[in-house]
Amino acid sequence: MSSSSLLPQEDARDAALFFVVCALCFLGALAALSARAAYSAANDWTNDVTGQITIRIEGTPQHLEKALELTRGFPEIASARALEKSDAEELLSPWLGKNGVPEGLPLPKIIAAEAQPNAKNMGEKLQSAFQQNRITATVDDHVVWSEDVRRATDSARLVALVAVALLAATAIAVIAFATHAALLARKEIVNVLHLCGAKDSFIAGLFERRFLGLGLQAGTVGAVLALCAAAFLLYMAKQSDGQVWLLPQLSLSMVDGLILGLTPIIAGLSAMLAARITVIRSLAELV
Amino acid sequence: MNNMSLEEPAVQFDQVSLSYGLDQDVLTQVSLELHARSFTLLTGPSGAGKTTLLKLAYLALLPSSGQISLFGINTNRLNRVGLAKLRRRVGVVFQEFRLLDHLTAYENAALPLRVMGEPERQYKDDVIELLRWVGLGDRLHARPETLSGGEKQRVAIARAIVGKPDLLIADEPTGNVDPEMGDRLLRLFQELNKRLGTTVLIATHDQHMVENAGAEVLRLADGHVMHQVSNSPSFTIS
Repeated sequence: MSSSSLLPQEDARDAALFFVVCALCFLGALAALSARAAYSAANDWTNDVTGQITIRIEGTPQHLEKALELTRGFPEIASARALEKSDAEELLSPWLGKNGVPEGLPLPKIIAAEAQPNAKNMGEKLQSAFQQNRITATVDDHVVWSEDVRRATDSARLVALVAVALLAATAIAVIAFATHAALLARKEIVNVLHLCGAKDSFIAGLFERRFLGLGLQAGTVGAVLALCAAAFLLYMAKQSDGQVWLLPQLSLSMVDGLILGLTPIIAGLSAMLAARITVIRSLAELV
Repeated sequence: MNNMSLEEPAVQFDQVSLSYGLDQDVLTQVSLELHARSFTLLTGPSGAGKTTLLKLAYLALLPSSGQISLFGINTNRLNRVGLAKLRRRVGVVFQEFRLLDHLTAYENAALPLRVMGEPERQYKDDVIELLRWVGLGDRLHARPETLSGGEKQRVAIARAIVGKPDLLIADEPTGNVDPEMGDRLLRLFQELNKRLGTTVLIATHDQHMVENAGAEVLRLADGHVMHQVSNSPSFTIS
């Protein structure tokens, strides 16, 4: 003669709550994956533009050679090279087609340099060096543009993190409300257990276990759905040669696996904690 | 579980009043003592405050003023854990049964033992025997919705006494059973009182019980006037 649970089995309210928690976990996991992808992409974009210097030389090929020599002479410069005609043709191919640059079309003399990560004010230093050597040059270290990129990526990170935080808070609030509703619906059971001498911790434990299980299950389903969605987006991105337009590109790395693995645990623990707090508070209203 | 001394009153009300909100007092300055191992019937007209008095005695309510002691323990000084432990020494038969619908008769009857954390193997046979004794041996697995009023009443009584409480409080325990079962239940209460020394307090309208119980009778009227009907020393009132 095995004993049943002291709380009734799931009813329609639990099924609805399961669906809501599941959906929130799915959205939360997807938002966390997007946040991680945005964070990662932001780092890549920022690293890509930081340290890149473009120098346009006005003058003869000798001026270009001298400027290249001067540029390479700076210890903060990791690499520097003059762009060849083939580079110019590749850059201009979207406008000029595959036939290349027409003969006689003047091409700018460009040096592409990359500074060390800790280099400071390289634009000014190079400009000063060129002036001293009577070389007319325009130095663009992309500071303004990289700052814009940095601001944009920081905003993207912040929005993603806020979305994750908001979804997590919403899930916890929904669970707390649902626990309270479940408790009200089972108030008679709570009262009878209470009058039979059950301690608050005993009654709270019943609800904690119930909601821990619900949170774990709903979180697992939500995480699996998020995994499927991420895999689908990844597949679609690969189908279009990795082009995902302005969206951060999702991946399925170890960190993503960790996010998906943590989703049911966080959902379960949040549900358990919300249940405990709600039950203890409600019981405090009884004698 | 009977570890109270004969000297300590099992139940002591000292100037106890109770009102709900700003309403008039349901009970006004009630003082009484039920001696340990006593058997007391509480009578009075409907609305006199019998159920409220019982609720105070089984710690479902706290008094607005005054002091209640059970087994010599001042309940005003107890924290929630202390109150829970004290409730375990009190068995209650509620007027409206209050069985849990999703549990079987056996599980309902075993509830206090389960709450106390006793392993099922230790109480299983006793609970089955008790349910057989109250005539429910063939209804062990029945859920409350399939039980008659009388059967529910007997499950509720089994639940109240299964833990061999020091104090048994029953609110109209024979209200839904036939006279024969009523007599049988009364004998069960008397047996518990005599053999185990359980203090029994029963609220009843059943005149047959009042006349045949051979118990002390406490009459409650208008929430604040109490009359001692018999001259028995098992309780004192003021």
